[in-house]
Amino acid sequence: MSDAPKDLPEASERRLEEIEHGLFTSDLSVNEFLLVKEAGYHPLGLVMGSSIYHTGIQTRKWGESQELTKLTEAMYNARELAMTRMEEEASELGADGVVGVRLDVNYYEWGKDAAEFIAVGTAVKAEDGVSRRNALGKPFTSDLSGQDFWTLLRTGYLPQGLVMGTCVYHIAHRGLGQTLATTGQNVELPNFTQALYEARELAMTRMQDEASRLGAAGVVGARLEEKTHQWGSHTIEFLALGTAVTRTADEITLTPPVTIISLDH
Amino acid sequence: MSTTPPRPHPVPEGLPAAVRQALAVAEPRHGAHAGLTSDLTIDETLILHSIAWAPRDLVVGLSVQSVPSVIWSWGSGEIELASRAHARAFAHAVARLHAEAVAVGAHGVVGVHVERRILSSHIEVELVGTAVAPIDARPLPDAQVFVSDLPARDFALLFVAGWRPVALAVGASFTYAPRRAVGAALRQQTQNVELTNYTEALYSARATAMERMQRAALDAHGAGIVDVTVTEGPLHFAAHAIGFTAWGTVVTPTPNARSIDPITTVSLDDTVSAFDVASLA
Amino acid sequence: MSDDLPEAARDRLHGGAFTSGLSVADLAACHAMGLEPIGLVQGFCAMQWGYGPARMGFGSGGGLGMGLATGLAPNVASGGYVQNYQCPHGMVSAEHRQWGQNYEQTWIEQSWHDGYAAASHRMLEEATTLGAHGVVGVVDSVASLVEVGVVEFHLLGTAVVVTGLERPASPWATSLAGQRLAKLFEAGYAPVSTIAVVSSVRVWASCMTEYFMGSGAGLWSAPADSVEIDQLVSARTRARQLVRERARSQLQGDELHGVDLRVNEREPGPGDIDIEVQLRGNRVRRARPADPLAFPRPAVSLS
Repeated sequence: MSDAPKDLPEASERRLEEIEHGLFTSDLSVNEFLLVKEAGYHPLGLVMGSSIYHTGIQTRKWGESQELTKLTEAMYNARELAMTRMEEEASELGADGVVGVRLDVNYYEWGKDAAEFIAVGTAVKAEDGVSRRNALGKPFTSDLSGQDFWTLLRTGYLPQGLVMGTCVYHIAHRGLGQTLATTGQNVELPNFTQALYEARELAMTRMQDEASRLGAAGVVGARLEEKTHQWGSHTIEFLALGTAVTRTADEITLTPPVTIISLDH
Repeated sequence: MSTTPPRPHPVPEGLPAAVRQALAVAEPRHGAHAGLTSDLTIDETLILHSIAWAPRDLVVGLSVQSVPSVIWSWGSGEIELASRAHARAFAHAVARLHAEAVAVGAHGVVGVHVERRILSSHIEVELVGTAVAPIDARPLPDAQVFVSDLPARDFALLFVAGWRPVALAVGASFTYAPRRAVGAALRQQTQNVELTNYTEALYSARATAMERMQRAALDAHGAGIVDVTVTEGPLHFAAHAIGFTAWGTVVTPTPNARSIDPITTVSLDDTVSAFDVASLA
Repeated sequence: MSDDLPEAARDRLHGGAFTSGLSVADLAACHAMGLEPIGLVQGFCAMQWGYGPARMGFGSGGGLGMGLATGLAPNVASGGYVQNYQCPHGMVSAEHRQWGQNYEQTWIEQSWHDGYAAASHRMLEEATTLGAHGVVGVVDSVASLVEVGVVEFHLLGTAVVVTGLERPASPWATSLAGQRLAKLFEAGYAPVSTIAVVSSVRVWASCMTEYFMGSGAGLWSAPADSVEIDQLVSARTRARQLVRERARSQLQGDELHGVDLRVNEREPGPGDIDIEVQLRGNRVRRARPADPLAFPRPAVSLS
């Protein structure tokens, strides 16, 4: 996480001041709102951060598998900036954390190779006044819904932060000779296996490193996605994403579920 | 939140013990259900167990009936050859599914997925379901083995309430929509007018198809048909033909009818709102 | 640890915090079961996808078909299901097919088996490295991300340890997680492994089949009634039987639950049909006699 400057626009400052006087806004549904309250938290306001980022170009070698570090950095920094700005807004509100974070990417016509990365969520604060900020002293972030947040707390965990790791990897093209040599055979391609395997492992490692920096006990809801963006089929972004959690000393109060057979549609 | 160190999680004692016990079994039990294959989810399997039934095997039946593509173009009244081909395709597929179920000693087939395609040159029907039987039951006479497109859950619920499925009833009718006379078509070009030729063809197809499905149910000695799937409308490859097909599960009461006595609940679930990683494109 | 895994995997697996692909609800269920998630594990294998035995020479727009049309004996790889359909008409014209054939493409089945097995083996190896008892919530994908002709098998799951139990020789695996897995255990089953098998049958239509399917020339007047297209029915039925038999042969007395049957049918050329059937499921072991849970309470939600 970078030490981003306090660079919020004025209109956003004013909106946050109004919120501090008691009114809250949130995109939580009624169900989620009640469960967040039940978990002992109060919603403070909708917070967001965005960053419009131009991704540079990096030359790739036709026949070589390698990570494209410049593109990896771009994809990572853009999301990180959006997240940091959202955290700033939450800090401004005195929040302990942000739940229901959504990360989106918008492409605009005016910006070739430029994309807007947005993070939106609902800032919450513990009602007992004890700080629940994470190991870095910042509000925790998580993509958990109100229902998941309640369940997680009942299981004795607290979210620490939305963690991610990304890796943009160029997979080598095969030379003509290699292709010919294997035509008509169904065999494993060790080079492809190695490259695609490694790219995924790097993304997952980076996500785990982020979690370790937060002193997390683990990551829940981790997902792994592949995107080729506009780079052609041999250049792939692997993105790993999840919510880092830490164990609390709270009582585990989740009762065993009751089985029902629903007669609804 | 206090500062005491985390302590081991207290868990309901029964479940972890059951987990350890199950995982400690190193060898398969070569019992009655060895080699069983089923496409039921674990929920469905457990619901079946709770009424003392169990899956026997995954069963398949399919048929492809060829129809001369010229039949769709000209004529009047019902396209009997097409209706007959549709009926045969279903009959053969059901018979093959039924035979597979009988072969594994099942009492019926539940959760039958119906894949049906109507093309100008052929009609295809594929049925995939799970053969089921009461636990440790003997095989039934072939004719009593049922086929139903109801999911295992619905089957169990019906069973508890005192009903049982008997058979799959199918009805279909394909009908020509007579062309309008050239004069009539020209006159009506600028008017708002009901195309009575299509309306009538559709009514006739519907009446015939429903009648066939109901007759099939009566032949199976059923009391009614539930969860009827209806498809109707024009055929994309034939401008002047209309098809109406319907199928559903025939049910009949058993002597053990009773109320299912539902409780009411209030759910605090929303539709899944976790964000989609795909949005990070 | 074997050297089958890439170095990046080795490095990651020695990291600190556990990673899990489990949702919060699944995590809660894991705790109730006494399972502790310890890491996200994956297995990967990229396979070259050829056209099978080079002497077949098809895929080039009907090399096999040409041979059949000119009256040469059918030529298929040995082994597997083969069924011939002879033309009842005798020599009609050069385009008229005198043979039709259904045949199993065993080389495709074998490659699929090898690719899935390698990916699965590597995932379990990662789990072993972590000291896991099993892998839950396994998802698999068979994709073609990099280029045409390369098929990628990828498996991803969450490794778990069972508190107070000796580690098995090889970790078990299941696509179930959360309450569904808990219910599996409650019902007296134990997960064993995930199973995925494929069958591949090619149909080279005989003149009759081709005619019935509507692509043949109008040599005959329209029949007075519908007829079953036997060749196609046999091929489809056989393809579905093959996967079930193959899955059953891997069970060794266990049961296969939650089967997902997927069928892909392509028509690379007229009268040339490629049928692929994939079957996936969870191999589970009955650990104690059936002890049914109570029938769940019917409920109506007042939303």
